[in-house]
Amino acid sequence: MEQNDSTMQLPVARPRPRSRVAETMQLRVLRPARSGYTLRPVPDSGWSAKASARRARVSRLVLLALLLMQAALSLRLQNTAFEDEALYLFAGHAEIGHLLHGTPLYGAFDSYFSGAPVLYPVLAAAVDSVFGLAGARALSLACMLGCTALLYATTRRLFNERAGLCAAGVFAVAQSTAFMGNFATYDALALFLLALAAWIVVRASDAHPLLALLAAPVAALAVAVKYASALYLPTIVLLCVLTAYQHRGLPRALGRGVLLTVGVVALLGAGLYASGYLSAIQSTTTARAAGTTPSWQILRDSARWGGLAVAVALLGAFSYVRSGRMSEMPGWRGNLPGARWRAALGLVLAGTALLAPAYQLHLHTEVSLHKHIGYGLFFAAPLAGVGVTRLMGAHFKYPQWAIFLGVVLLSSGMSQAYDNFHAWPDSRALVAAVKPYVNARGSYLADTYEVPVYALGHDTSYRRWNSTYTIDYTTRSGQHLTGAAGFRAAVAERHFTLIVLDRGNPTGESTTVRDALVHSTGYRLIGTVPYATAWGTSRFELWAPS
Amino acid sequence: MSVPRRLFLALVCCLLTAAAAACAPPAPQVSPAAAATARSGTQSPEPPYDIRPLLKPSGKYLGVAFNGSPRATAPVTAFAQKAGRQPNLREYYAKWGDPFQADVNRAVWDAGQLPFLVWEPFSRTAAQIADGQEDAYIRQFADAVRDYNRPLALSFGHEMNGGWYPWGSKKTKAADFARAWRHIHDLFTDEGAADVIWVWSPNVINPVPDVRLKPYYPGDAYVDWVGVVGYYALSGPTTFRTLFGPTMKEIRRFSGKPFLIAETGVQAGESKPAEIADLFAGVRARAGVLGLVWFNLRKEADWRIDSGPLSLAAFRKAAAGGSFGFDVHNP
Repeated sequence: MEQNDSTMQLPVARPRPRSRVAETMQLRVLRPARSGYTLRPVPDSGWSAKASARRARVSRLVLLALLLMQAALSLRLQNTAFEDEALYLFAGHAEIGHLLHGTPLYGAFDSYFSGAPVLYPVLAAAVDSVFGLAGARALSLACMLGCTALLYATTRRLFNERAGLCAAGVFAVAQSTAFMGNFATYDALALFLLALAAWIVVRASDAHPLLALLAAPVAALAVAVKYASALYLPTIVLLCVLTAYQHRGLPRALGRGVLLTVGVVALLGAGLYASGYLSAIQSTTTARAAGTTPSWQILRDSARWGGLAVAVALLGAFSYVRSGRMSEMPGWRGNLPGARWRAALGLVLAGTALLAPAYQLHLHTEVSLHKHIGYGLFFAAPLAGVGVTRLMGAHFKYPQWAIFLGVVLLSSGMSQAYDNFHAWPDSRALVAAVKPYVNARGSYLADTYEVPVYALGHDTSYRRWNSTYTIDYTTRSGQHLTGAAGFRAAVAERHFTLIVLDRGNPTGESTTVRDALVHSTGYRLIGTVPYATAWGTSRFELWAPS
Repeated sequence: MSVPRRLFLALVCCLLTAAAAACAPPAPQVSPAAAATARSGTQSPEPPYDIRPLLKPSGKYLGVAFNGSPRATAPVTAFAQKAGRQPNLREYYAKWGDPFQADVNRAVWDAGQLPFLVWEPFSRTAAQIADGQEDAYIRQFADAVRDYNRPLALSFGHEMNGGWYPWGSKKTKAADFARAWRHIHDLFTDEGAADVIWVWSPNVINPVPDVRLKPYYPGDAYVDWVGVVGYYALSGPTTFRTLFGPTMKEIRRFSGKPFLIAETGVQAGESKPAEIADLFAGVRARAGVLGLVWFNLRKEADWRIDSGPLSLAAFRKAAAGGSFGFDVHNP
């Protein structure tokens, strides 16, 4: 054995004096057998925790792969336009007509839209004019991919690259991300702007306060795009204070938070004063009509759609509060944030995930909850990233945890996104059935009139269509009627050229209208269009004057 | 691994398993396979058929009823050759409990005739039907009619004012009959069967003058055509005016719906050629009468168009005029 060992011996430089403990980590120092070749001193570890070009390159490559996967998960979802998409797109076209050609607006969109009708609808309609619905949805995909990239960038700054990649992975496979990435409504753009504002405050935490103030117009724009985004402004302000506190101390951090708050409030106040959208904000957001969905159902669906990711985030928060060390470098001695700061960050980020479910619990409504879950998930995802890295342990000691979570999150996200994206019927058959009856002069009533209006935009105008929610009808005798009485009178006087009712999803006064039709001599059922969604089958009914 | 870490991981494991279980979607109302089948089925290229142009066509219906209808096709060809005119309506009878034969009706429609189904409730009373005891059968029948997606004229319980059928005036209350009719109509509407022309079909009142028709009438919202049944027999009225006039006059007091001579014929005899001419002239002269259905059978008497050469010649001549037998595919 001694003979063999001697053949392996290489000459090395004499090491510097080391502590007794460090000595045990080193190779045995042997006297050189031959001269002429000298090794440099061996470092403590074979890798470095410091930032490097290689680390950035590898991380970005992994992020790129995640973004490609996210795009694939969104684009696999295929369905015709949902009523909200159709509404915003045809409203956007009307707004463009008004802005460019002075065409009068009749929809009163600013009175009931949950975002400024001159922002996202106009942008989406402009894209729709060139690329159609697929283009408008691609705009949302770009926004959601931007969210994931910003999430990575934010998490990397708060924690490290690995946590950032894990956070991006958790967020990318969530059902809300896949759904919003192929859905032409306010949500993707609003979330992107919120993500950008969050990134700015974290990025500028060690920079001049005025740089952090750049987040103010972005956050204000997010609220203008979708009023409910205001729910997440406190999180951004608190994030600004917490991240600034590490570099600037409490007074300056608080000052920065106040500055940001004042900036956002001032911009929003000015926008509100100029636009007069207060009533719409009240009706759609702050004083929204309460629903009747039971609390247990909202809780159950919140748990289904975001529960696992939030659970991992809570685990990450707990673990992070317990130990703030993110580096795996042996003997690493860096500046660790205090436990109270870590607890505050965990509380702010994880608590934000509960805002949307809590507000919808308060309102007893589940409308768009599957999307709103995604807003909170964006803020909780950094902690989920930490949770995944902690479960995996240092040096990927327990990779099975990441694999387990990845499989469950991916499979549940895919199936849930598919179900939610097929919660409304494919409208191609309906549009084909309605098209022969539609012209520029007729009057039409429909449960989901937005879809045919959007699809048949060249043949008809939204002004010719009435929803089953409200009516303002003047009878032939001059009587002015609204609500159920108005609908009954309009049916009795054969006011509508065509009535389209959705048996599977009756809205507003649809049942009243149908009762009037069934017992009417003026209308007859002229056809039905069956459909299937992820949750069952039903049909549209077409009624026309007999 | 230390004991605290094991305990911690066990707790985490429980937490994540519970969360993963919560991610599972709830049981859908239909199985994924059924939903997929329905989705593929709902993308039918066929749009719904709008039957409104058939309700008040500019031409006249020339219908025919014969043995073996609706499946047999040879009698139609023979009738068309003899009559010199292709019929555009084919009447047939179905007993209560029979399934709707979509394929046969589709063949009839494709051959250029509007199928006219006379539904005979021999096995159930009108009250039972009205009370919902037959809903499953009616819905199944209506579903088949809906999926057939082509026009169908349908008469339930014809000649209800006569006393010779179980659903007639001697065994069934008029209110129950009307109630049953409305119930069937409502179920068809509920199932989305939109392509049905509802033919309320009383017998001419001449043999039953004491039975009033209005109590049997379900209402204008439930009826498209009034199909009057009446024959030129050797005994009885021998003109259109005297045979159908009194009945039409009574019906006009409570309904403005168009008439169809839903079943008619002329009994073999010397006056048959003249009466055939009278029948066609009567239909042609009245805008409110949509056409006639010739009972081309030898049943109790010889009602066929070729019961004699003069009769056949008279039929050919009468049917040749006007717009009898218009193209129902392009009304």
